[in-house]
Amino acid sequence: MISYTARRLASAAGVLFAVVLFTFVVFFVLTPDPALSICGQTCTPERILDIRTRLGLEDPFFVQFWTFLSGIFVGRSYGEGATAIVCNAPCFGYSFQTRQPVLDMITDRLPVTLTVAIGAAILWLIVGIAAGVVSAVRAGSWWDRASMGLALGGIALPNYFVALILQWVLVVKLEILPFPIVVPFTEDPVRWFQAYLMPWIVLALMYAAMYARMTRANVLETLSEDYVRTARAKGLPEGQLIVKHALRPALTPVATLFGMDFAALLGGALITETVFGLNGVGKLAYDAIGTNDQPVIMGVALLAGIAVVLMNIVVDLIYPLLDPRMRKGTH
Amino acid sequence: MSTVTHTDGEELLRVEGLTVAFGDDPGIEVVKDLSFSIKAGRTLGVVGESGSGKSMSSLAVMGLLPPEARASGSIRFDNEELIGRSNRSLRPLRGERMAMVFQDPLSSLNPYYTVGAQIVEAYRAHRRSRPADARRVAIEAMERVSIRDAGRRFDHYPHQFSGGMRQRIMIAMALVCEPDLIIADEPTTALDVTVQAEILELLRGLQRDTGIGMLFITHDLAVVSEVAHDVLVMRGGREVESGAAERIFSEPADPYTRRLLDATPRIDDVQEVAS
Repeated sequence: MISYTARRLASAAGVLFAVVLFTFVVFFVLTPDPALSICGQTCTPERILDIRTRLGLEDPFFVQFWTFLSGIFVGRSYGEGATAIVCNAPCFGYSFQTRQPVLDMITDRLPVTLTVAIGAAILWLIVGIAAGVVSAVRAGSWWDRASMGLALGGIALPNYFVALILQWVLVVKLEILPFPIVVPFTEDPVRWFQAYLMPWIVLALMYAAMYARMTRANVLETLSEDYVRTARAKGLPEGQLIVKHALRPALTPVATLFGMDFAALLGGALITETVFGLNGVGKLAYDAIGTNDQPVIMGVALLAGIAVVLMNIVVDLIYPLLDPRMRKGTH
Repeated sequence: MSTVTHTDGEELLRVEGLTVAFGDDPGIEVVKDLSFSIKAGRTLGVVGESGSGKSMSSLAVMGLLPPEARASGSIRFDNEELIGRSNRSLRPLRGERMAMVFQDPLSSLNPYYTVGAQIVEAYRAHRRSRPADARRVAIEAMERVSIRDAGRRFDHYPHQFSGGMRQRIMIAMALVCEPDLIIADEPTTALDVTVQAEILELLRGLQRDTGIGMLFITHDLAVVSEVAHDVLVMRGGREVESGAAERIFSEPADPYTRRLLDATPRIDDVQEVAS
């Protein structure tokens, strides 16, 4: 078990290194003039020159990459002497437009993104898995057809479209919800909930649809297993039989997928956050694209990549908890 | 096992004119007009080649036919008609009054739960009991089927057992509620010959101790001669012939039975060649 963990961590470190290298190459090597991109829209030749020196863009590639990589672990400074800009570890870049380390900008926005992601995840897991199980158990029924048709729609409809329709119906036409304005939970829990409700629904819709289809397929498979017949022969109540013997084994692959999907959302639900004006990581990246603030775009991309890789390790390490056959030392 | 609810010779199961069909009426009949009965303390061996309808007949008794199959005729268990009863109303019988042991013990046990948990589940499906009591009952059941160190093995998963041990677990699970009838569908087919002999001996011993009635399904006449008091030979969903085991083996009436018997290698044949 220890050597398995060590091997997984070592290979994950390799993947993380590749992610950092790839991001660096895209933004610093493949970009015609990184200093110009970093400088942004309102820029003077002197400023470009200043940024170029501070970033050390005249240095060889390996020196530049080493400075960037070591900045993540021990911090770095841009420029030298009294005018040097210090970026403490872990340094994921510095925005010359906002004059802030990129990581600070991201962590400022992370609570909103986490709120959106966690709320949506709870919603899509409950709705998706429940709909999938009922569809599998009643395969071929009107419920199955209806929910699978709806799921297809959920996957097919672009979520900005669903977001706009939902806003128009709930806020403008039916006036069920007030115009969503984000307030801190501690200030007014009801308003807080109302502001996040639509983003949760919109984001959850697509995932719920995918999870429903996946759960349905997996449960249909486990329902035909011999051990389900055994459970029935034991006289188990149907509900217990479905949850323990058909659903439980069907959920292992769903859990793996969930780890990835959730990690990917930590890079921000760009469209959902933008449509609902939520200041999360996705909105940060969207705005950075608008103002061409390269270090921010790069930082978000890098951290999103790291989140997915890390979640991948977590999923791998908890897999033996999900499937007893994967446990070492039980053979 | 502590209680014997039936005295030897008392009729447990009577099947009359059982027909199992798939598809639209009349559909494909996989079992046609089959009749047999099983008494307490006795074993009926149902023999036939694959596709002869023997497994479908046993699933019909348990009410476990696939949803697209239809059963007609009469299946009376303890004088209660089972045909036409809903899945829900059959549930209290399954595991409690009649239990089943399947062919492949690996795929028949859920890999996600310990064997102990699966035996406990079978027990608590019918008896209210505290977890600690259920655990004790399950360990006793495992000991009854000669699983050594049952207290420790309770917490092991199916993949940690050998094929023969898994089948012992299946038998322990089937017997945990002390049913009156056990249906064993090819219980030794997936096992080595030596393990086969152990499992057959185990089933015989359990029957001797409890007076349980047994429906034993197999394609193997040698196995049937080991366990069955009565034999029913099937082919193409129909009965070919039936009767007391000694009679079938010594003077088979039907040419098909005779051919089956001739096709079975026997220990005496080997001895004749050797001598």
